[in-house]
Amino acid sequence: MGWYKKRLARSLWVFHVSASPCNNCDIEILDLLTPRYDVERLGIKLVGSVRHADVLLLSGVINEKVAPKVRRLYEQAPKPLFVVGVGTCPTSGCCFKNSYNTVARREDTIPIDMYIPGCPPKPEAMIEAIAKLMGVLNA
Amino acid sequence: MLDKATFLKEMGARIGRRIDKKGRLYFEVAGENLHEVVNYLFHTMGCRLSTATGMETFHGLEVLYHFSHDPTGQYYCPRVVITDKKNPRSISIAPIVKGADWIEREMSEMLGITFDGHPRPERLLTREHPKGLDRPLRLRRPS
Amino acid sequence: MIKTVIPVGPFHPLLEEAEYFTLTVDGETVVDIDLDIGWMHRGHEYLSEGKTFTQSIYLVERICGICSTSHPLACAHAVEDVDNIEIPPRAAYIRTLIGELERIHSHLLWLGLAGHFIGYDTLWMWAWKYREPVLQIFEKISGNRNHYGMLRVGGVGRDVDPDSISGLLKILDEIWRKIDMVAKAAGDDPVLKARLKGVGVLPKQAAVDYCAVGPTARASGLPVDVRKDEPTDAYGLVEFEKIVLRNGDVYDKLVVRLLETLESIKIVRQCLEKLKTTPGPILNDVQEISAGEGIGRYEAPRGEVFHYVRTDGSNRPIRHKVRAPSYVNIPTFAASCKGIPVADVLITLASVDPCYCCTERAVRMVDSHGLPRRIDLSKLSREKTARIRREIHE
Repeated sequence: MGWYKKRLARSLWVFHVSASPCNNCDIEILDLLTPRYDVERLGIKLVGSVRHADVLLLSGVINEKVAPKVRRLYEQAPKPLFVVGVGTCPTSGCCFKNSYNTVARREDTIPIDMYIPGCPPKPEAMIEAIAKLMGVLNA
Repeated sequence: MLDKATFLKEMGARIGRRIDKKGRLYFEVAGENLHEVVNYLFHTMGCRLSTATGMETFHGLEVLYHFSHDPTGQYYCPRVVITDKKNPRSISIAPIVKGADWIEREMSEMLGITFDGHPRPERLLTREHPKGLDRPLRLRRPS
Repeated sequence: MIKTVIPVGPFHPLLEEAEYFTLTVDGETVVDIDLDIGWMHRGHEYLSEGKTFTQSIYLVERICGICSTSHPLACAHAVEDVDNIEIPPRAAYIRTLIGELERIHSHLLWLGLAGHFIGYDTLWMWAWKYREPVLQIFEKISGNRNHYGMLRVGGVGRDVDPDSISGLLKILDEIWRKIDMVAKAAGDDPVLKARLKGVGVLPKQAAVDYCAVGPTARASGLPVDVRKDEPTDAYGLVEFEKIVLRNGDVYDKLVVRLLETLESIKIVRQCLEKLKTTPGPILNDVQEISAGEGIGRYEAPRGEVFHYVRTDGSNRPIRHKVRAPSYVNIPTFAASCKGIPVADVLITLASVDPCYCCTERAVRMVDSHGLPRRIDLSKLSREKTARIRREIHE
């Protein structure tokens, strides 16, 4: 992580990929933009196109139908790219591990660099995770 | 007064074994009487279809419709029992109740039941599925 | 006449789920709409068959994060219906308290998103800011902002601390004042009225044919509300009104939800007052469920949630059927989306408050010069609002 650390470490642009979530983590991610937590003061914003993204926020346990689309999104995003798995679902599959319709390992679809466990993770935990990511990029 | 007693008086001859609990009436209906009973429930009594449940039991496959009579809070549940497990067929009520469209498509996808007379018998939840699921809710689980 | 097909989805820039709509348009008017779902299908009914009843309640909480206590309530009602199990009165008040708090938070969430879709970002920020105290109350009662884990078959699992009730009532008073203000401002705004009145009308007969439920049906004149039709828990013991309007357009759906939020605050106040004076156990410890079948339902913020359970005398269900309200409300798009301009599609799809709502860049296949162009549905929606605002202020 050498030459791009100056460009990426300040304001990270984030794209949210919802791959079969229950929506709780998605609402908590959106909550980060609202006045109480307000991550826009840190320069973080949600972008509409994956081609502008620095960080991919993945939520949900990826199901078989959406897996090829998630893979395609990952390939379309310009590298360097960091994938953050939000919630217990991308971390371990939560309670949907044994279903007929979920992939066996999320990491086989797209590589995940950072996990934020919690069901849903508290907004403070997500902000701390982003701060850690910035710390790693700045190291 | 459109209540359970009137229903049993009008349709009693067309329904079979029944289970009568507090607020819930489950009864068996043969395929050929289904349209008449559903017509009475939906159009005459003004019931609303909540949903339908399909399941596989030891005796065969069952399709259980759940009709809610909102003014009284009473449920009427006609049950169709299909004994042919290899090639299960039943009659669709989608021509009478538009709200039954999606649920019958899902039952046919999950259990393999063919609904005769359904306007659009396509897969609902697993269209263009990369692995092609085969009736996941049948008792023989896919490996 | 060039017919264009606009695919919408499955990934959305700002919102929750994946959904895939195909709109067939003729010029600016929508002619047909087709839906492809299944992006969220995780197999709950299959997973439920291997779990005990208590584990099933944990599992169904995770069907949806917004109405996360509606599914456990309906599931608990279904299992209790098998044997007609009664729950203690204190548990009934706690259940109703949680259910109504959830309704408040869900309607405020919808209000914010609806404002965002039509370009009123201020409404979004305000509605979600005043949602935070509600989540704070949840954290005080149950320990988590969203998935509460408070329910058990036969009652609830955790009690409300009597010393905290007066603090909770104070927070509620503040929320009431702010929501009242936001509701009056939203109801009075001429641009909102011009934008939303007469848009995306769902006629009453279509609502009956598609068996619609919830605010979608009540805005079209269909008086279906499980809390009044079959009062369970403490709904028979508190006073509130059923809100039914007539026009069926998006504006009426907005007003139904705003008025319901205010009614919910009334119910929460009554429950908190009753909890001060209703002692007793919070759980009716059920040891066995006999073989049979049970139906349970609950009025979630989006409509009636329906659960059906078939038991065989053991501690696991042999069949657990789940039907969420969006399942019956989303097919009503076929009736409410036809004949409306493309700029209004977004708000019409959102007005049903589907548990999934999406738009993305829409690729138009052919335009008047025969060249492919890219259109953003949310941009179209905001441009329409800006145009209406200019017209009104001229």
